[in-house]
Amino acid sequence: MEDLLKLNRREFLKKISVITGSTAALASMPWLKIFNNDVYAKSANDKVRLGFIGIGDRGSVLLKNVQAFESLLNVEIAAICENYEPNYQRAIQYTTGKAKPFYDYRKLLEMKDLDGIVIATPLAEHCHITVDALNAGFHVFCEKAMARTLDDTKKMYDEHIRTKRILQLGHQRIFNPIYLSAIEKIRKGEIGQITHMRAYWHRHGDWRRAVPKGKPELDRVINWRLYDDLSAGLFTELLSHQMQVANWVKDSFPTSVVANGSLIYYTKNREVHDHISCLYYYPDGTQFMYDSINSNKYYGCEEQILGSKGTMELELNKVYSETPPSPPAILQLVNDMEKGIFNTIPIGGASWVPETAVKYKGEYITDNYKMDETKLQLEAFTRYIREGKAPEELPIQGYYSSVWSLLAEQAAKTQQRVTLDEKYRI
Amino acid sequence: MKDITISGKKIKLEIIIWVCCLCASVLINIYAIVKYNNSWWELLTQLPIVLLISFMIYFFTGIIRFGIYSIHKLFFRSKE
Repeated sequence: MEDLLKLNRREFLKKISVITGSTAALASMPWLKIFNNDVYAKSANDKVRLGFIGIGDRGSVLLKNVQAFESLLNVEIAAICENYEPNYQRAIQYTTGKAKPFYDYRKLLEMKDLDGIVIATPLAEHCHITVDALNAGFHVFCEKAMARTLDDTKKMYDEHIRTKRILQLGHQRIFNPIYLSAIEKIRKGEIGQITHMRAYWHRHGDWRRAVPKGKPELDRVINWRLYDDLSAGLFTELLSHQMQVANWVKDSFPTSVVANGSLIYYTKNREVHDHISCLYYYPDGTQFMYDSINSNKYYGCEEQILGSKGTMELELNKVYSETPPSPPAILQLVNDMEKGIFNTIPIGGASWVPETAVKYKGEYITDNYKMDETKLQLEAFTRYIREGKAPEELPIQGYYSSVWSLLAEQAAKTQQRVTLDEKYRI
Repeated sequence: MKDITISGKKIKLEIIIWVCCLCASVLINIYAIVKYNNSWWELLTQLPIVLLISFMIYFFTGIIRFGIYSIHKLFFRSKE
């Protein structure tokens, strides 16, 4: 079993190819140091037993990802908890009845032989379930964003510090080899000084899911993302992911944010915005522009990192130099000759030419790979449980991405520039 | 139908003409490298393009030579 663990680790390291022997990379990604570690607090022969609370769409994905490496990493899904009957039944099917099922998470937390809890409930329930799980002595993996309110977010972090239990948030890009390679290149200065960042997440859909007929009371259970007291909508569900990436790139956190939100397309039966835009300011003057909309999916999802020497588009795994290599000289000559022969003679013309985007395909940040970042982050969680601890950088990243997502919501609602209250600084 | 014989001498001539076209292509490549200040490695890396251009030049010289031959043949035939 130990050999399998090492093999998996070697395979992972080989595929991301940024870690071994690279102290600079480990310094900027200390959460990966675990993969170089030969010593574990819990041996490879001891099973890591997990309980899952919240097995809706995302919870099901997390559960299936853990099932993919259960036998390889000696992990067991020992308990599941879900209070919505269809999801409850589905979870039992997924686990073929092997995991002990619960409706009430407090009963699950009474199990003494669990090591970690995976929480994928609606946002407004993250805080009390996480706090109870940490208090019960369990390590916790909680989906992002951390919580619905700033106070709850702080409460979760404080409880993690007090109980000394692992708190890992569901920011899977932290474990994505493309992002890891990108950050390493950024730290080495390959794209120069980071002067600007942009991100967007455009979708076409209203998030609304079908509610069983005759049970309108289930609308808040099923469509919690659309209710203001249960979710901050696009701010917490989408922005928080890319907020984490922006903070990671800058290796710092914003000082203020201005934002706007509007409800202009899916205006019925919805309390949260369907279009948002934010502008964050970092201590060195860098700005991070963000927008997320629900009415058009043409541009999809992207994080664009603009440096003085190059640009990265992380979702596309592409890096573009500010001074792209010139095409072969002989082709340039042929091209110029063609233009000389075939170009039309302009009759007057503009005295200036608009600067259009450079047509240059760029290079790949790293080799294209087929590793699922969600699986990698869960794998890391089980390894941290064996280690008995996790890098503190992880909950800090999760904390500030949640806090600044909520502050953007505040800025949108108050139409004021918002800064961080010192009581929320960790 | 008449048999067409292509002598060794003819083939040798065509090869020499093509080699001249190749030399011209290489010279064009050198000129382009100097003009656009690119790397001299392109003498090797752009060989496929150079070869392609040499064949294009050979083809165009072939058209010109055929034209000259046709006019010559027409001129001498009419004289006869």
